[in-house]
Amino acid sequence: MNFIKRGLLSITRKKGKALILLAVIFILGNVISGSISIQQATGNVEKNIKEKLGAAATVELDYKALENMDEEEQMSIEIADLDLELIKQIGEISYVKYYDYNMSTWLGSESLQSYQGEEMDDAGVEVVADGMSPDFMLKGINYAPVLDFEEGIGNLVEGRIFESQEVENGSSVAIISKKIAEKNDLQIGDNFTLTNSVMDYDETTGEEKVATSRDVVLEVIGLFEPASANVEQSEEDAEMLDFMDIDYQNTIYVPNEIISNESRYQSEEYMKIDEEYAEMVEAEGTDYSDIYTPIFVLKSPEDSVAFEEEVQPLLPELYKVTNAGDQYDSIAAPVESMSKLAGYVLIVAVSATVLIIGLVVLLFLRDRKHELGIYLSLGEQRARVVGQILIEVMVVAVIGITLSLFSGNFLAQGISNTLLNAEDTQMEDDMMYYSELQAYQNNITTDDVVESYEVRLDSSYILMFYLIGLLTILVSTIIPLVYIVRLNPKKIMM
Amino acid sequence: MILEAKDLNYFYQDGDRRRYVLKNTNVGFEKGKFYTILGQSGSGKTTLLSLLSALDSPHSGTVLFNEKDIKQIGYEKYRRNNVGIIFQSYNLIPSFTAVENVLVPMSITENEIPEDQKSVAYNLLDYIGIVKSKADRTVNKLSGGEQQRVAIARALATNVELILADEPTGNLDEEMEQEIIDIFKKLAHDHDKCVVVVTHSNEIAEQSDQTFTLQKGNLTAYE
Repeated sequence: MNFIKRGLLSITRKKGKALILLAVIFILGNVISGSISIQQATGNVEKNIKEKLGAAATVELDYKALENMDEEEQMSIEIADLDLELIKQIGEISYVKYYDYNMSTWLGSESLQSYQGEEMDDAGVEVVADGMSPDFMLKGINYAPVLDFEEGIGNLVEGRIFESQEVENGSSVAIISKKIAEKNDLQIGDNFTLTNSVMDYDETTGEEKVATSRDVVLEVIGLFEPASANVEQSEEDAEMLDFMDIDYQNTIYVPNEIISNESRYQSEEYMKIDEEYAEMVEAEGTDYSDIYTPIFVLKSPEDSVAFEEEVQPLLPELYKVTNAGDQYDSIAAPVESMSKLAGYVLIVAVSATVLIIGLVVLLFLRDRKHELGIYLSLGEQRARVVGQILIEVMVVAVIGITLSLFSGNFLAQGISNTLLNAEDTQMEDDMMYYSELQAYQNNITTDDVVESYEVRLDSSYILMFYLIGLLTILVSTIIPLVYIVRLNPKKIMM
Repeated sequence: MILEAKDLNYFYQDGDRRRYVLKNTNVGFEKGKFYTILGQSGSGKTTLLSLLSALDSPHSGTVLFNEKDIKQIGYEKYRRNNVGIIFQSYNLIPSFTAVENVLVPMSITENEIPEDQKSVAYNLLDYIGIVKSKADRTVNKLSGGEQQRVAIARALATNVELILADEPTGNLDEEMEQEIIDIFKKLAHDHDKCVVVVTHSNEIAEQSDQTFTLQKGNLTAYE
C-alpha cells in the first residue's frame, strides 16, 4: 500500500472531512471560476470588437484638446498643417501595411446626372438643384490600387485601377460608380465633364451666383460598386445606409493632383472677386496649400498601441493619432468596469482560498498528527508523507473545481447580465467628433459590445480555471505541510 | 551482537545544569533472545528505547546495528528496514483495517516482501492470533489486546530481525499480557528474532532471557 493508495484510502475512509474540504473548495472555486469567466468574456469582447473596428489609423487634430482650451488660448494658437513629408515618414513605419493621403472637393456637372437613391430613380423623379449643385465628391488618391478597394469599402467591377504614373502626373482619369456610369450611359474609355464653379455671394440681395467656372474633363478608366450593398440591415439602419450609399455612389476617384489644381483655381479666382479676402490672405501670408487626410492601414489591430507610441512624438502640437480601435474605449465602459471588478474579485478570491484552504488543511493535519507520526516512525520518507496529503487534497480539489467549473460559469452569466444592465442605464453619451477614420471602421455601439459579450465554457477558460484553481490549492496545501516536515515522531509516539 | 549501544549519553538541559537520563551506557543484544529493560517511571528506559529505535539521537555515543553505526545507515532507513517498533498505545491508523495497518510498512520498507503482500499480512495476523474476519475490521473495532497483536504483526511485516517494544502490555489485563509475552518468546526462540521489551513489570522481566535495570542513568545487567 504505497502513499498514493494510502491517500486515496484516507479520502474514502474519512468521508466527512473530505466532504467539508470539497464544500470549501466548491464555494471558493465558484468565485474564482466566475471571475475568470467574466474576465475571459470581456477579453474576448475587446479582441472581437477591435478586430471588427479594423486596423486603420489616421493623424488628425485633437478637437477635444482644442475644446478644453480657454477662448484666449484658442485665438492665439497657430495650428500647423500636416506636412506631406511627415505623412510619408509615418507611412514607412514597420507597423503600416499600406497608406494613402487624400484630398477632396465637391464639383457639379451640367451633363452628368447624379445618383439620388433607388426610389427616386425608379419613380423617374429628378432632383433639380437651383443652378448647378455640387453633387459629386472628387476623392483624391495617392495610393494607385485605391485604399478603399483594398479595405473592402468598394470593389472595382470593371476597368482598371490607376497607374502610378497617372497618379504622379495628375492625369485626367477617374473611377466612377457603376450606377453613375449606367445612368449616364458611360463606358470605360468615355470622357465626362464636371464644372468647377466659383460662386459669388451678393450681400445685398443674399443671392449666390456663378462668378466664373471651368470644365474638368475626365476619362473613365474603371467602375466600382459599394461592397456593403448586399448586407441585410434593420429598417432604421437601412435608411442611414441608403443616405451613405448615395454619397458613395456619387464619389469619383481621381489622382490628388487634379483636386490640388481645382482647389488652387478656386482659391485664386475667389481672391479676384473678393478683395477683402485677398487682402487678408496677403496680410497673413497664408497662401493656398494642399490639405491631406492621411489613412494608415496597420498590419494588425494589435499594432495600434505601438504605432501610436511611435507616431505621437513626431506630430506637431494639437495633432493626435486616432486608431479605429479607439472607439472601443468609449463604447465599452460597461464591459471594462465589469472586467476590472472581476479582476479584483479574482485576487480577493485567490487570497481567501490560500488562507481558508491553508487553515482547513492545517486543522486536518493537526487532527491527523498521530497518523503522520506513525508513518514517520515506520521509516516513511517525509516527502512521501507530504505527497500523500497532497494527493488527498488535490483529488478532492479536482472534484470540487470540476463541479465549480460549470456552476461558476453559470453564475457568471447571471451576474454579468445584472451588472451589464445596471451599467447600461448609468451610461452617459460621450461627445462624438467626426473622424475621417469612420469610413474605415464598422460603426459599433455599446449595444453591439453588450451583445457580443458572451460567457462561454470554452477550452481556454477551462484550462485557465484548472490552472489557477489547482495552483491556488497547491500553494494553500504546501504552506501547512511545513508542519509535517517539523514533526518529531518520538514526541508523538512515546 | 545484532544491536549494541556504546557510551550513550542523553541529558536534558535545565538552565545551566544538565540532567543526565543516560550516562555512558553500554549494552548489547543478540539474536534469538528475549530481553527486558526494567526501570521505574522516569528512569529513562523509554529514552533508551527511542535511541535504540532511532526515533531520537544521543548527545554522544553510538548505536550499532550489526556492527554498523545507525547514523551511517540513516535513522529513517534503519527504521524502515531493520527494526520493528511496538508502542504501549499501539499507534495503529484508526481509519484502516487490521490488515491495511500491516500492509503499510510493507510498502515503506526496501526489504524483500513476497508479491502477494495481502496474503502475507493475513498469515502474519493469523499467526499472532487475529483471524481473517477480524483482520478486515477497522482497528478501532478491536479490543486492546487485539490491537496490540495487530501492532506486533505490523512490526514483523517487514521481516526484520530486531523487535523493540515500549511497555507493550501496559494497557492490557494479566491474561492478555501473558499471551503477548508468549508471542515475544516464540519470536525470539522459534524465529531467531532479537526482542527487547521495556517494562516496569517484574513478572515480564522474570520470563525474559536477560534483564537490564536502569536506575539514575546507569544500566545494570542481570541474567
